[in-house]
Amino acid sequence: MAMIDLPPALPLMAGAVAMTLARGKARWVIGLGAPILALADSWYVITEGAESFVPFLGHTLNPVHLHHATPVFATIFCIAALGGMLFSLHQDRKVEQSSGLWHAGGALGVVFAGDLVTLLVFWELMTLGSLAIIWSGGQKHSYGAGLRYFGMHALGGVAMMIGIVMLVTQRIQTGHADPLAFSHFAEFAAAWPEFSWQTAGPWLILIGMLVNVGAPPFSPWIADAYPEGSSSGTVILSAFTTKTAIFTLLVGFAGFEALIYLGLWMACYGIVYAILENDVRRILAYSIVNQVGFMMVGIGVGTKLSIDGTAAHAFAHIVYKGLLMMSAGSVLAATGKRKCTELGGLYRTMPVTMWCGIIGALSISSFPLTSGFTTKSMIVTGIYQQGELLAQTGASHTHLIVAWFILEAATAGVFLHAGIKFPWFVFFQKDSGLRPPDPPWNMKAAMIGFAAICVLLGVFPGILYEILPYKLAAARYARVVYSFEHVIEMLGLLLFGGLAFFVLLPILKRKETITLDWDWIWRAFIPRMYREVLSPLLAMLQSAQKTVLETLPGRGMHDSSLPAPIARRAAAMWAVSVPVFLIVLMLLVYLVVYFVLPTL
Amino acid sequence: MKLDDPQAIKWLWAGGLVLLAVVMLVDAFVPHHPHFEGDGVTIDTLPEFFPLYGFLSGFVMVVVAKALGVALSRKDNYYGDD
Repeated sequence: MAMIDLPPALPLMAGAVAMTLARGKARWVIGLGAPILALADSWYVITEGAESFVPFLGHTLNPVHLHHATPVFATIFCIAALGGMLFSLHQDRKVEQSSGLWHAGGALGVVFAGDLVTLLVFWELMTLGSLAIIWSGGQKHSYGAGLRYFGMHALGGVAMMIGIVMLVTQRIQTGHADPLAFSHFAEFAAAWPEFSWQTAGPWLILIGMLVNVGAPPFSPWIADAYPEGSSSGTVILSAFTTKTAIFTLLVGFAGFEALIYLGLWMACYGIVYAILENDVRRILAYSIVNQVGFMMVGIGVGTKLSIDGTAAHAFAHIVYKGLLMMSAGSVLAATGKRKCTELGGLYRTMPVTMWCGIIGALSISSFPLTSGFTTKSMIVTGIYQQGELLAQTGASHTHLIVAWFILEAATAGVFLHAGIKFPWFVFFQKDSGLRPPDPPWNMKAAMIGFAAICVLLGVFPGILYEILPYKLAAARYARVVYSFEHVIEMLGLLLFGGLAFFVLLPILKRKETITLDWDWIWRAFIPRMYREVLSPLLAMLQSAQKTVLETLPGRGMHDSSLPAPIARRAAAMWAVSVPVFLIVLMLLVYLVVYFVLPTL
Repeated sequence: MKLDDPQAIKWLWAGGLVLLAVVMLVDAFVPHHPHFEGDGVTIDTLPEFFPLYGFLSGFVMVVVAKALGVALSRKDNYYGDD
């Protein structure tokens, strides 16, 4: 059977190509058919337990491989592509829809990648798709945000590529049986605080993944780029890049303690920045960082239950975040407005959008009977169960106690910044005078479908627990998730967190502001240093150089004794001096690094 | 829905507060299991721990955000119109 030798990403990528040529009804067939075909192919591969191997430069590529988390991520990526397409297809946005399928295909390719080369190839293909989605967004800052997005991800991709080359070279030298294999970097996770050149490969691979996951200091790209997609483009964007990175971290770096601290930072950062934000879809983008922070903690803890919790939460998160982005996208499409200060009171004329938005908001807040409750709490439970275990062995685990308390606080914070803030400012708050209608049928259908999944996973979590990496851990958890104690604790935490929102409402009124972030360094500081320091310095250098050259006998460019063509060439030499200076500077830095670093 | 009616808003507030009161009442009678018993951390078993912790967390996060906003907020055209 040839089909199982092909990566399930291919139907999506073929669909992306076909979409560029399609017209009218054919677009619907391709847009909805490709994700369904990919889902069917994925599950065919999963149930057959298929593997495929391709010879490559004396090694073996493994483009179809089943990791423990492959079934759950493959399923949700296909569902996300399907929902995103359904939401978008009434518009003739061929570039965006084609890139959307391509982007989803890249993500699905990563999920089945059994070797590092396949991983890298699909990783980069995915980035190209998302870049095209952002650039076709048609928002005021789409072009600039896309450029910054690409710069950031190109850097991450290069880091990952260098890391892979270093690691594979090292493995070949030490006679590793399968030097290209992508699997758990177990020795690395155990020995992490000691940095040595021996571990530079995994470190660089990790950095590449951390760029995509939005860990500090790389987090600003999420709130910068995602809201610059179109009303439908952002729905697709919100699903894949960060969660693909979560998948790769889950496979490669489970139990890597540093991820706990990064995750806690992200969970809090997302809340604080979302509280200050005015742009509706940027609020939701910050809350992606917040939710991904929970998943990072789960990966860092790395027990079976927390791995299951992370995978389950990624699944639930993609659905409710897509739903929230659809709700915000419907509002944007109908009103052309994206700021809290310009919106309000839309409950009157957009009931479907409002109710679906509220279901998404309750899910992200992990309210009982929604998908967030049955998944996010599994991560939190994983933390204290590991704490109990370590307490028995006497191992140090203060960080787990701290992590538990911070994530419980962050759970209340999610309800406040996303669960209430989003619906409140968009649909209630004040009467903005806007009376937009609910969106066309396909957008409504996509929203209602995703809302139904949110509730379904909240009421029957067993369906999802069935396909998690370690089904047993989840099955045991299923017995306690709806314990009376757990439900009442969660309600107390959330409802009183919500009370804080309404008590503090007067100081939460939005103003037309943004909040500075790490990206200030490369958007403001470095350009300014270039303009005000480096540029004048180079100009000075140039004039000094000119003076020196002109005082040399018979060499100046105004030397009339020279024939005209040579004088012109002499003049052209000045233009080279800036790059030469920069290269010399780089070599100098290299020299310093070369001699100083080994002594550290 | 007739949310423009001030009477409806009053009812919503009243309903919300009743809900909060019920949650607090039930919480007082539910036995809470400690999450880190082995370490002597039992604060999470106190009655009303979760409602109080939820409210305080929300409160602190808003205050921290506002404080940070004083230093880091800029007009939304700060980076120009690229």
